[in-house]
Amino acid sequence: MFSLLFAPPNFVDDLLLKLFSQETVNFVVWPFIQIGAVITLIAVWALYASYLERKISAFMQARLGPMRVGKWGLLQPIADAVKLLTKEDLMPERADPYIFRFAPYIAVAATFLTFSVVPFAPNWGVITDVNIGLLLVLAVSSVGVLALILAGWSSNSKYALLGGLRSSAQMVSYEVSMGLSLVGALMFARTLSLSGIVGAQASDSVWFFLYQPLAFAIFFVSGIAENNRAPFDLPEAESELVAGFHTEYSGMRWSLFFMAEYAAMVVVAGVATTVFLGGWYFPGVLRLAGGYNNLYVFLSLFVFVVKCAVLLYLYFWFRWTFPRYRYDQLMDLGWKWLIPASLLNIVWTGLTVFTVQALDGWNNIKTIESLKGAPNLARGLNLTATGKGVAIALGWAGLLVAALFLAAVNWRSRDFNLKKQRRQVRLVDVPKGKPAVATTAATGEG
Amino acid sequence: MFTIPLFVLFGAMAVGCALAMVAQRNPLYSAISLIGVFVSLACLYMTLQAPFIAAVQVIVYAGAIMVLVVFVIMLLNVEEEVRRPVRLRFLVPVGVLLAAILIGEAAFILKLPGAASRIDAFGQRPSDVGLTASIGTALFTEYLLPFEVTSVLILMALVGAITLARRTATPRLAAPGNVDTEPPELGPRGEVFIRPGDTAETGRAFARHQLQRGEAAASAKRTGEEGER
Repeated sequence: MFSLLFAPPNFVDDLLLKLFSQETVNFVVWPFIQIGAVITLIAVWALYASYLERKISAFMQARLGPMRVGKWGLLQPIADAVKLLTKEDLMPERADPYIFRFAPYIAVAATFLTFSVVPFAPNWGVITDVNIGLLLVLAVSSVGVLALILAGWSSNSKYALLGGLRSSAQMVSYEVSMGLSLVGALMFARTLSLSGIVGAQASDSVWFFLYQPLAFAIFFVSGIAENNRAPFDLPEAESELVAGFHTEYSGMRWSLFFMAEYAAMVVVAGVATTVFLGGWYFPGVLRLAGGYNNLYVFLSLFVFVVKCAVLLYLYFWFRWTFPRYRYDQLMDLGWKWLIPASLLNIVWTGLTVFTVQALDGWNNIKTIESLKGAPNLARGLNLTATGKGVAIALGWAGLLVAALFLAAVNWRSRDFNLKKQRRQVRLVDVPKGKPAVATTAATGEG
Repeated sequence: MFTIPLFVLFGAMAVGCALAMVAQRNPLYSAISLIGVFVSLACLYMTLQAPFIAAVQVIVYAGAIMVLVVFVIMLLNVEEEVRRPVRLRFLVPVGVLLAAILIGEAAFILKLPGAASRIDAFGQRPSDVGLTASIGTALFTEYLLPFEVTSVLILMALVGAITLARRTATPRLAAPGNVDTEPPELGPRGEVFIRPGDTAETGRAFARHQLQRGEAAASAKRTGEEGER
């Protein structure tokens, strides 16, 4: 049993090679096996995410959560799935029938497409390694906005339309900071390929989270907003919009949106893991690469899953502990806080990279190992221990700089620095010496 | 081996979506078909080994511009177009003629004597045209000036859009004369109506007016109370 777990895919490969040609196996059969595995796993995750959500919220609120179906309610998601599959698929009378039916598929397709570039593990854990992996993730997520808008519009319901409008404004604004926050990490990685980013971190044996704490925070917050999860679930705010853009959906089509949402959480967690938390890499794993190839792949896969799971737990944690933002606060956070911070992060990272490279020549401090021959782009900056120390110190100093910068930018904004602002509140053009109207109540007492 | 079937698939998708875009009556369906065209073009770029251009195609066109277009169509609630009598009938043969010329040109390029060998030679050479690194290098070295000029152009467009969209600075309430002398228009219950064209300046002027009126009333009340005592 144990040996079967680590059985090499070689015998599968041999079997396939007997049936198909080498090219077909490499470009058609293996990708289909990988895609099938990923889709199955993500679908199961989407089922059990609802269970986890209910259990975690229950434990946070000192309840038990689902307990009836199976042991600890473990079969509850299956029961829910059967219910959703057999439910009637309703459509509002004056809805746009084609777009109404089509929108959930856009949501699901856009989300699942991103998994094609996420490196789950080295070797056969990568479906495809295009050299624009990160751009593809951003591109596809920007198309995913369309699903929400179209679903909201085609339902012919005011709640759904408002949810769709909110979602489009929210996702378009948070996309900007999401994309900009990745630039800093890319300056260290020097490639857009997600496998290459993991490789750059592995060759430096460091996580980019250490160089880029600010960018990680910005990326994760924007990711939560991009997924429309609480505290940014304005498009489906129950207290105002019933259920937002999917108000009119029922049965299977509703569950497709639901599946897309949980899968999109995995996408953001997976990209955050890959770019900032070292992906499948952990110290010492590369030593296994020679002799124990399958152990190496499985261990890396396990590490990737654990890192993702931590981030996904954060999602649930945030959802059940933070209150929902007001809509204007949400826009303020995106445009006045996250985007300036991510722009500052780009400048600051540029300075960091410049300093690290400049130190190489000054006072004989070696911060970069010389790459023999042609510089290998997939190996990142190739820093020495000194260089890493400088980069990490400057990265965390960037947090302080960003705090000061944001305080300066937002000093007079409405939801910041209220105590100081209240002290300075003056009514406009009231002549000096004359009291404003509000003081009459106080004088009236005497 | 798989290039030809993929090309046929995505090319057919692009052409089909383009035809659907023109033929649809409902503007939203046309917009969705246009997204289909962009996505299949991106797939074609991908098969041409220009992944960066493919990604930018999807981000800029399918992601940004088409979301804006769909947004506008939804908000304006554009109805389905009714069929109108065709004007400018002579354009139909002109269109057919132009299409024929275009197809002829493409055939001429492909069927030129020796074209096949040149295409083969081009295909053999490893190309880095669509790669991120080559585009970045070219943009920031050889084409730095055009790049910067373009970005200034886009910035100008942005400033222009903001200038056009900005509300007028003249406060409506204060416009006819002095606020102190002319009271604002009030509703039957004393409420103020906010109208398009109102600015922060309007609000401030109104606040000034309210303040002075309220002060006058308060002082009148105070003197009245004192008189009662």
